[in-house]
Amino acid sequence: MSNANTPPPGPPSAAPTGPGSPQDVPPPRGTFPIDPATLPDPIRKEIEAPDPVAIDTGADELKDGVNRCPKCGSTEIRQKPGTDMLVCLYCRNEWQSGRVEEEFGLGEGIDQLHGTVIASGARDIAADAAAMMTFKCSGCGAEVTVNTANAMTARCHWCRHVLGVNEQIANGAVPDAVLPFHIKKDDAVARIRQFVDKRRLFALKEFKEQFTPENVVPVYLPYMIVDANVGAGIAGQGEIKTREYTRGSDNDKKTYYDADVYQIDRHVDFTVDDLPLESSTERGNLDTKVNTNNIINTILPFDTKNAVKWNASYLMGVTSEKRDRDVEQLRPRLEDQLLSIARSQVEDSVKRYDRGVRWEQESLDVHGTRWVSMYLPVWLYSYHQPGSNGGMLHYIAVNGRTGETMGSVPVQQWKLLTTALTVGTFLEGIALWILGHSS
Amino acid sequence: MSDGGGLWLLALGPAGATGLYWALYRYYRNTDKSHDFEHETKVDAKPVTGSNRKVDEITGTREKRIRGDNVHAYRQRVQRIRGDTS
Repeated sequence: MSNANTPPPGPPSAAPTGPGSPQDVPPPRGTFPIDPATLPDPIRKEIEAPDPVAIDTGADELKDGVNRCPKCGSTEIRQKPGTDMLVCLYCRNEWQSGRVEEEFGLGEGIDQLHGTVIASGARDIAADAAAMMTFKCSGCGAEVTVNTANAMTARCHWCRHVLGVNEQIANGAVPDAVLPFHIKKDDAVARIRQFVDKRRLFALKEFKEQFTPENVVPVYLPYMIVDANVGAGIAGQGEIKTREYTRGSDNDKKTYYDADVYQIDRHVDFTVDDLPLESSTERGNLDTKVNTNNIINTILPFDTKNAVKWNASYLMGVTSEKRDRDVEQLRPRLEDQLLSIARSQVEDSVKRYDRGVRWEQESLDVHGTRWVSMYLPVWLYSYHQPGSNGGMLHYIAVNGRTGETMGSVPVQQWKLLTTALTVGTFLEGIALWILGHSS
Repeated sequence: MSDGGGLWLLALGPAGATGLYWALYRYYRNTDKSHDFEHETKVDAKPVTGSNRKVDEITGTREKRIRGDNVHAYRQRVQRIRGDTS
């Protein structure tokens, strides 16, 4: 007999029902159960205010799986090196995806932006969306898997057709646009070599021994390109010097200053065009104590005006990193950067405060933002330096469009310390010599 | 030569060593670099407006700059006045 204290087993937990449960068919987008005209003004205004607009950047002409050359039907499509063109390896037909700037009007009307406009490739990532995607090869019917975490194309191992992920899926892997590589591998290798050649004297011995810039890899990294229309207010105190004078005897002269103190307020309205933000959590962590992601951050900006509509063929043979951050997660970072821009904008207006300004308060009024997700091209060379906490991964990065190069070269600490101490001792020797001869 | 001048000279060695170490370390590791978005992004700003009101006078201070000067430290956040963010 069962223990009387044990509660009887309850009914099997029922699937959630009622309004708002996942079984309910959602109402049509933009509808409201009550006629808004019957509601008080403030509520009606709120309801009738425009929803965040998603610009549909999906390409109807492209489907997941086999993408054929528009002329001959082959799937052997590559980016023509150094250009934004796609080329068919069979019939040599060349064509190009449209530039998103013109196709979706991304460069226009930033000063008219209101609310949050999100392009369809920048929409929130669904929590259950998997990075692994399987689709049927339309060439032979075999199932082919693409891990969208690091690749957007795959070759069917049966019929050798190239398959690409082109439809925007809720896992964040398909962006609105892609900026094709212009810098070729030879050029990237030469730039990395030149960069490191300027930093050999104190570089880690193992780094120098294992340095093979030919191992540089092309990677498409995910970014959100943001346009913003904002107003910012800043307040603080500034000082203007009115008098400077010295007091004291010859050996004990001290300089004193008189100054006027002002309370300063500044306001500036501005628009920002194409501000890039890392939309990968790992890349967005710019803590130089634990990683060298600031190197990749430094090679920004890109000529994002020339980005073309997404086409997986641009990524053939190139790895990519999937976006894992949504618009709302990036908003604090954006606001921080907008405030920084505001502060730099007002700098000229406080030049007359020759003793400096201490800003104490700032405010930001974001009228509107527009978010477009983009894959940007980076040549990446990396070296792992062993050490505590997993060591440090040093990057040397080349901007795949402008060629801007930045890197972190690991340092041979004992060599650097010895040199610094030697120079310090030499300087100290000079100091002691001067002191000895002057007294 | 005064005592103050002598002490200053004695600091030359340690200061030189530290300065050289940091300068070289940064040249190799570039830990101080990041995207200069304040200047490298296209910004269209309307004319800056604002007010200046004299509130005080200081006499006989030895400090060369205002205390807490952050006019060039754009990225150093100060108190944020909320309520006007849409």
